[in-house]
Amino acid sequence: MNRRLLAALALAGAFAATAASAEITVGVSLGSTGPGSSLGIPYKNAFQLVPKTLGGEPVKYIILDDQSKPDEAAKNARKFVTEDKVDAMMGSNGVPSAVAMIQVAAENKTPMIALTPVPPLSPDRLHWTFVVPQPTELMMSAVVEHLKAHGAKSVGYIGFSDTWGDLVHNALQSLAPAGGFKIITNERYARADTSVTGQVLKIMAANPDVVVVGGSGTGGALPQIALRERGYKGAIYHNHGTVNLAFIKVGGKAVEGAIAPTGALIVAEELPASFPTKKVSLDFVKRYESSFGAGSRNAFAGYSYDGVALLNAAVPVALKKAKPGTPEFREALRAALENVKNIIGTHGVYNMSASNHNGLDDRGRVLVDVSNGQWRLMK
Amino acid sequence: MSFDIVLWLVQDGIVNGAIYALLALALLLVFAVTRAIFVPQGEFISYAALSLALLQAGKLPGTVYVLVGGGAIAALLDIAVALRDKAPGRLPRILAVYVLLPLAMAGIAWWAAPRKLDMWIQVLIVFGLVVPLGPILYRVAYRPLAGASVLVLFIISMAAHYVLTGLGLVFFGGEGLRSQAFSGAHFKIGVLNISAQSVLVVLATVLIMASLWLFFEHSIYGKALRATAINRVGARLVGIPAELSGSLALTLAAFIGAVSGVLIAPITTIYYDTGFLIGLKGFVGAILGGMGSYPLAAIGAVGVGLLESFSSFWASAFKESIVFTIIIPVLVWRSLTTRHVEDEEE
Amino acid sequence: MAARVTLALFLVFMALAPLLVPEFYVTLMNYIGMATLVTLGLVLLTGVVGVMSFGQQAFTGLAAYTTAVLTTVYGVSPWVTLFAALALTAALALTLGFITLRLSGHYLAISTIAWGIAIYFVFGNLEILGRYSGLDNIPPVSLFGWALDTGRESYYLIWIMTLAALIAARNLLDSRSGRAIRALRFRSVMAESYGVDTAMLKIIVFLYAALLAGVSGWLYAHYLRFVAPHGFGVNAGIDYLFMAVVGGASHVWGAVIGASLLTLLREWLNDLLPKLFQRTGNYEIVVFGVLMMLLLHRTRDGLAPVFARLLPAGPGRARPAEAPALARREQPQSGEALLEVRAAQKQFGGLVAVGNLSFEMKSGEILGLIGPNGAGKSTVFNLITGVLRADEGEIRFRGERIDRHPTKEIAARGICRTFQHVNLVSAMSVLDNVALGAHLRGRRGTVAAMLRRDRAEEAQLLAEAARQIDRVGLGSHLFEPAGSLPLGQQRVVEIARALCGDPLLLLLDEPAAGLRYGEKSALAELLRRLRAEGTSILLVEHDMEFVMGLVDRLVVMDFGEKLAEGLPLEIQTNPAVVEAYLGGIE
Repeated sequence: MNRRLLAALALAGAFAATAASAEITVGVSLGSTGPGSSLGIPYKNAFQLVPKTLGGEPVKYIILDDQSKPDEAAKNARKFVTEDKVDAMMGSNGVPSAVAMIQVAAENKTPMIALTPVPPLSPDRLHWTFVVPQPTELMMSAVVEHLKAHGAKSVGYIGFSDTWGDLVHNALQSLAPAGGFKIITNERYARADTSVTGQVLKIMAANPDVVVVGGSGTGGALPQIALRERGYKGAIYHNHGTVNLAFIKVGGKAVEGAIAPTGALIVAEELPASFPTKKVSLDFVKRYESSFGAGSRNAFAGYSYDGVALLNAAVPVALKKAKPGTPEFREALRAALENVKNIIGTHGVYNMSASNHNGLDDRGRVLVDVSNGQWRLMK
Repeated sequence: MSFDIVLWLVQDGIVNGAIYALLALALLLVFAVTRAIFVPQGEFISYAALSLALLQAGKLPGTVYVLVGGGAIAALLDIAVALRDKAPGRLPRILAVYVLLPLAMAGIAWWAAPRKLDMWIQVLIVFGLVVPLGPILYRVAYRPLAGASVLVLFIISMAAHYVLTGLGLVFFGGEGLRSQAFSGAHFKIGVLNISAQSVLVVLATVLIMASLWLFFEHSIYGKALRATAINRVGARLVGIPAELSGSLALTLAAFIGAVSGVLIAPITTIYYDTGFLIGLKGFVGAILGGMGSYPLAAIGAVGVGLLESFSSFWASAFKESIVFTIIIPVLVWRSLTTRHVEDEEE
Repeated sequence: MAARVTLALFLVFMALAPLLVPEFYVTLMNYIGMATLVTLGLVLLTGVVGVMSFGQQAFTGLAAYTTAVLTTVYGVSPWVTLFAALALTAALALTLGFITLRLSGHYLAISTIAWGIAIYFVFGNLEILGRYSGLDNIPPVSLFGWALDTGRESYYLIWIMTLAALIAARNLLDSRSGRAIRALRFRSVMAESYGVDTAMLKIIVFLYAALLAGVSGWLYAHYLRFVAPHGFGVNAGIDYLFMAVVGGASHVWGAVIGASLLTLLREWLNDLLPKLFQRTGNYEIVVFGVLMMLLLHRTRDGLAPVFARLLPAGPGRARPAEAPALARREQPQSGEALLEVRAAQKQFGGLVAVGNLSFEMKSGEILGLIGPNGAGKSTVFNLITGVLRADEGEIRFRGERIDRHPTKEIAARGICRTFQHVNLVSAMSVLDNVALGAHLRGRRGTVAAMLRRDRAEEAQLLAEAARQIDRVGLGSHLFEPAGSLPLGQQRVVEIARALCGDPLLLLLDEPAAGLRYGEKSALAELLRRLRAEGTSILLVEHDMEFVMGLVDRLVVMDFGEKLAEGLPLEIQTNPAVVEAYLGGIE
């Protein structure tokens, strides 16, 4: 290790730290490479569309890649708090990575905007953490209402062999008693698997009324294609991680009729004019697609955007109490975030409280299905 | 478990195993000739599959940039050597192989992409884009390290794998793609409903194995490769340059990778990083076969496919755990039945 | 001396670093420390012993999860869980080691991948381990009630452990066991011939590497304060291997260099590249891969040798000081029956290498074993030393049957050999190579070596080695790498090594090949002196002038069988022998 180099870096770091305290700094860690990159990239894209100010003050977003690894995310988070002295952190697209960041945020008393649903947290973690996406239970409850209305009594589950697969399964499990159905299979597969024949045969043998898939993005298409190939006739439900155009491109005819819950932005055009988020969602979707191509809309970019909207609402309140770059400001920002009311995002309307650090309600979800190669709002 | 299900699982295992077998063959070939565990083999599959899917969508695949850029680097390296050796006579050949050929292929792809030509022509274009990556990769990554230890060559393979997956992410994006099937036909045999595509996979694997056998037994280049595989120093003494063998081995590997990619693209969703895990399983197959015999490697690979298929039925959450745990006793058995006493070469 | 100064400077720097560098660099150095521990294990296991392991992250993960569960669920103190974690890691390592270390090359490598992948999915599917989300809220380590929960505090915990492991590893390699360990990779047959329990030693190195990974996992859990399966995937294992190779896989300090380089480089690329390529994609991994290729193309042995050249060259090692002589074996009475080979038979497939061979040797004699190339002479050596097992017949040493004993036990009875193809550890100094011959005359093991409790014995071993090197006339080459000597002198080094074993019976395989005339007569003189001291010598040699002037009796072999036996003069006139030599290829 070169001492002179380190000394120079130390100096540079010191300058960077003093220069940064004039504006608001937000550290963002995303898995834009590695296995989670299909989600991380749209999350990252959205930061090109966010305003250059927060509550009227200039803002700097420091976006780092965590390679979809939790220890890298933790390292990025430590860098944000120690070197960049950030006022808030955002991230990540992987659940374990987000949990790792939450750990660092709580240790260093920095507000943390989680961009992915997280498992239940202990109170001291939750104190500093605000979760943008709809809780998995909220999303899956839309699925459960639908399948209950259609008289399904048995559900076959197949999901990713990772946290996402676990989250969707747990949500479904907790809703099962109220929904009056039983989960009769819990099969797992990996995004990179070339075949799910074994799992699908097992589901076919159990013969459930409907199947719920706990995958995300294009990875969600594989079980549905295999089920349809084997002649499965029941309804197939997905989750909010699945809803993008690439899913339909990969799945083709086999995914016609797939049903999924999602935030309103995916079907912004079809929303009734009275829908509270219609304007915000539509505006964001248009801007996103003009930058990244027609049909590129997705839920993930919306989460980044909504996270920024929350900060935007909370910063002016916090600015009245302290200057950015100070621990007082971070505490004030946290308190302000906890009290944001009726913030309209692309996904829904946020109303935070001390006990609810997500704040979305039924307006944060709609059911969509694939018809004629498009995601359409279900009426 | 009913007999029907067993049949289905066997069919699934054989189709997946056939793909692993192709990989096992390529890995074995490259290892025998260069002593490198050829991790980037998986990237050839991803590149071929994704290029085909993009061509079908009427888009220019990013593979052309990798091909032209990689060719340019290989050409620069070779030109530097030629100038140092004061041998300008080599320049035309260098430019033709590493610059003109990639540019020509890129040009064809650029012309063909928006026209959505017949599928077989698209497949040929994919071969033209992916196969030349083999010799280019050899020139850029491996040739400067000829004769290095297996460990160092493995690390170079990893570095090449990082570069190629990184570029794959840049050019293909994080989401997966799937291409159209060559044929939508299905055959009914008893309870089984076999797709023409899966028959094609198995047939192609058998065909490639047979042609490899013919190549090694009956062509002069094949014999040269075998000679290098058996004894590197000896092969050099009788005038077979190690560089030629290495370059040839990687060309063949890239060809096999392109075939696997084209075959698998309609069956499953391929991501820019899918190749690694498929490659790993092909590698396991090759090892189970003893890392020395092509037919045994193929049998080992099909064994992995079957094991995977059955364990995904029994306990899908633990599938990889089951596959890789069962492999350990098989390895012990294989190792004890094929005895080596000699020390590693220094 | 220079090495000591460098080390001292390094230690001072490490002690002061947290006060000098920005907080985030302390964080990075903590990551580097944890990676160094695992990589150090790989330097020993892969770089030195030659066992390629892709599975070290399994041990890191097991230890991390053990401490995570015990501290969060059961509230046990981290200091207690350190031992629990290491005990479990050791249990797993010993189980895996006993099953897989006997595997040869590729089988072993793939089995490390296999267990690495298998354990990842086990972590991810167990409810008690928090499934794929992992466990969080792990308490920091505390010392007398003082919680080490900041980066700077953790730094000292991490680096004290890392430096201790580095120094222990360096001590280990510079010891009696260390010489044997360094011979395992390329020279395990030779090591066995000098009484090294190579299988045991491999297990010990494997265990040490696993325990280092375990310590790293324990630190990981209490520093990051969460664990999730993703930290212990097969890519993590490959990363450690990467660090070892880039740093210099056969150098202890290569672990620090490799871990630092990879961690810092990735960090810098992560910072720098997004500024260069504003919005288009992620090129970090591409640039990283390209840089690694360039580096290995320039220096395939990694960076440690490059760094070593940068350091000022010291005055070199001093000749070992005189030390009390090692105990010697009691020589048998001259004329006592020493070696009996009775109807020994060895076949390789259809080829009879040794057929129905019988001869005897008395104590205190020099017996020549001659014959054309391919007559089976070296096979006889391998049968006597147990490297090969005779198909039939028996071999007795001092009346005791030895043909069913393993090589290292035969060595323990006082039979030392040289090899037809020079069998030295070429990167190791002449002194260390020769001292390896005295392996069985020392007792101190690996733990004593790590703690430097072996110095008195070590001094004796090195002094003995130096004496034997003087005796064969190579006293001016003590510290040169053995591989740098001319081939003839390397053969002489082999003789010195054999002498270091205090042999009763010395087996010399073509010792005079490649020597000049003067060196040959010096060698002959040495062998005569040894005989006078009571050492018996079995000699294979082609140089007839050398043989005839030296040996007491001769056994002539052809096509694996005994052709003739007798005094040199009788053999020279034996018609069958003349026929075999003149009619043969020789």
